[in-house]
Amino acid sequence: MKYAAAEGRQGVTDHRQRPRRRGQGELEVLVLSALREADGPVTAGWVQERLGGDLAYTTVITILTRLLAKGAVTRERAGRSFAWLPVADQAGLAAHRMRRVLDKEGDRQAVLASFVTGLGPDDERLLRELLGRPGDDSCSASDDGGEA
Amino acid sequence: MGVFVFLPLILPLTAWPVARLAEQHLHPRTATRLLTGVAAVMAVCSTVCLALLMVVGTAQLPGNPLPDGWSDPEVREAVPYDEVAGKAAIPALGAVALACGRTLWRHCRTRGRAHRALAGLPGTAVAVLPDKVPYAYALPGGPRDRIVVTTALLGSLEPAERRALFAHERAHLAARHHRHLLAVQLAARANPFLRPLRTAVAYTAERWADEDAARVVGSRRTVARAIGRAALVSRGAPLATLAGFAAPGPVPRRVAALLAPAPAGRRWPSVFTTAGLAVWGATAGTAVSAMASANSAVTMIAILHAATPL
Repeated sequence: MKYAAAEGRQGVTDHRQRPRRRGQGELEVLVLSALREADGPVTAGWVQERLGGDLAYTTVITILTRLLAKGAVTRERAGRSFAWLPVADQAGLAAHRMRRVLDKEGDRQAVLASFVTGLGPDDERLLRELLGRPGDDSCSASDDGGEA
Repeated sequence: MGVFVFLPLILPLTAWPVARLAEQHLHPRTATRLLTGVAAVMAVCSTVCLALLMVVGTAQLPGNPLPDGWSDPEVREAVPYDEVAGKAAIPALGAVALACGRTLWRHCRTRGRAHRALAGLPGTAVAVLPDKVPYAYALPGGPRDRIVVTTALLGSLEPAERRALFAHERAHLAARHHRHLLAVQLAARANPFLRPLRTAVAYTAERWADEDAARVVGSRRTVARAIGRAALVSRGAPLATLAGFAAPGPVPRRVAALLAPAPAGRRWPSVFTTAGLAVWGATAGTAVSAMASANSAVTMIAILHAATPL
């Protein structure tokens, strides 16, 4: 009960038999700081180990999921589980929020004119043909490009 | 009134040929403005006529607010007192109002959310987001116009191509293309016959921005390469089209158009070509649509005035 958040990680190892209760915010800070120390995406198991192993795996997952909902961490699929990484800065957080906006908008084409639209079944081949063609700005070979 | 009130509902069909031919035969700027104008006028006329038909339809409902003189035989003679059309117009107008409201609301909501997502960033004109998904778009309005682009997309383009990308998005913002797009979307909701115009304007607006970017960058081929590369890195699930009937999608058509010589600036096709016929057909359709709806509106007001015991 007496341990502060900062020394919690060192402290828990010799008090493993005596489980102590911690506030939600404290655990989130611990998990987040563990993620920041990692260089690259890590699994929840890695975080659990890093924290000394006194937290249940499911607890770590719960905290990570809560951090994900808050936009403080992101995750990517790695094999059968997820690899987690902290959202480093404002830009990362903004990217995360923007993705949520775009994913929520099913018909995003209708709202934001994006630079390119999706490619049809034959478009990729056609596009490679067009771009692979030698020529300069005065190139006028487009007979097969327009919709006939 | 009579048959005139039904004309604006089907006259959008006269714009179909020009929606199809404009992208090849007109400058993208001219095509975008022409098609948006035609779509807007026809949508307004069609909605006005739907509203007039609704008034006729409500006359059959008990407790309607129309004057008693409305049921005189002379009035019945003058308006299309067709039970089906009048009654069908009531839910149709409701559906149009609902669909347009929803489109407008979604447009505002998405723009607001996108601006809020960028809230913490410095207020630069270009917002670069660290994201593995390649995308880029122009985000209009709000506190200010912004271009949103991800590091994944920038990383896959060469410096000259990046300039082309930014020039393209700036052209969208400078020419306020989102207004054109919103107008044709609303028009397509107001009258389903106007849907081909929405597709056409979505394409010609991109072409317009492509042409502007090519002028700024000074190389049509660079813009073409930027579009091609961006499309190839961001290709996701293929569009749901039947492979056998798949016409070239918008991206290859844009690239092909950029590899061809620049379109002539201000050149209207002659009346005696197919494109010319299409343009003048759509113009005539729009004019007839406007006159028919004006005629119907004036008639309706005159009838209401005459039927009101004052």
